[in-house]
Amino acid sequence: MSTLLRASEVSGLPVVSIADGEDVAEIRDVVFDGGSHELLGFTLNKRGFFRGKMKDRLDASGITAIGPAAVMIADDDELVERGAVAAPLAKPDSGRSVIGVTVMTEAGVELGEIADVVLLSAGVPRAVGYQLTGPKLEGRSGDEVFIPISAQMAISGEALVLPANAQEFVRNDLAGFGAAVADFDMQQKGTQQ
Amino acid sequence: MTDLMTKALGRNVLAADTATSVGKVKAFVVDQPPRTITAIHVAGRKRSPELVDWSAVTGFGPDAVMVDTETSLREAEADREEQMARHRVELLGSKILDTLGYERGEVADVGFDPETGAIDHVITGDGQTVPVAAIRALGSYALVIEA
Repeated sequence: MSTLLRASEVSGLPVVSIADGEDVAEIRDVVFDGGSHELLGFTLNKRGFFRGKMKDRLDASGITAIGPAAVMIADDDELVERGAVAAPLAKPDSGRSVIGVTVMTEAGVELGEIADVVLLSAGVPRAVGYQLTGPKLEGRSGDEVFIPISAQMAISGEALVLPANAQEFVRNDLAGFGAAVADFDMQQKGTQQ
Repeated sequence: MTDLMTKALGRNVLAADTATSVGKVKAFVVDQPPRTITAIHVAGRKRSPELVDWSAVTGFGPDAVMVDTETSLREAEADREEQMARHRVELLGSKILDTLGYERGEVADVGFDPETGAIDHVITGDGQTVPVAAIRALGSYALVIEA
């Protein structure tokens, strides 16, 4: 069973240890490397009455699954002290956020901007798409449009440029987007061979 | 034969040697991952929770729970026993989460073997049965089961 979910929906979820059924932390923020379109992990808050930032981090590779009710980890060893993780996860740079980045086609048409990152939650979670918003998109859907991530997409703090063929995989519902991601992955692999 | 925890709650606990009542079943202490009832929380005589080990139970009957002797009642020792006796960690009513992070309701009842104390299954709020083998852990936040 695999599910697509928006990165913003993960914030606030409890982190639960499968080994002992305890809620050991709470997701504060998603740490995403825009340059490589990669989910790095999460910053954390403490649970319970004495809330507040936690120094520990949760690397994406330490996650068993992300569901609508909780982020599941094998045990609390998966929470790693800030000093022991790679720099981008230890000190996330909010200036590198992809949210709000302009989305352009290769033909030079501005489609809108990135509103959210779409994660595939089966096993170790990974980023598979972006949710876009923008006035030019409204004719299509209303308010939600999703595009699959590919290695060919160039991204900077300024803009995300979509390859010409990406547009045919644009979907306006998250459920239909799952199939589009699979098709797009296949096509990308096909063209690389 | 299977007994249900909700039906066993409140059942009289009698000391077999003196034939006197020592309290009523208040809660169950289980191992981790939950497979067996290890002790019963007996309430009624003292303010602090009293436990009796399953090994001291001579008969878990439909009308009363017989324990060998009154002196088998003891205070909670391990941290986890204390948490379970204080209802901070408790099977009945616990939220159920599966290993994929989906909520699967809460524990409505637990079936167990009154001969051995072995847990057989958990019944969820919407009537589904979860076999004991699918149970991964019980904590203060949730009962974790296989997806």
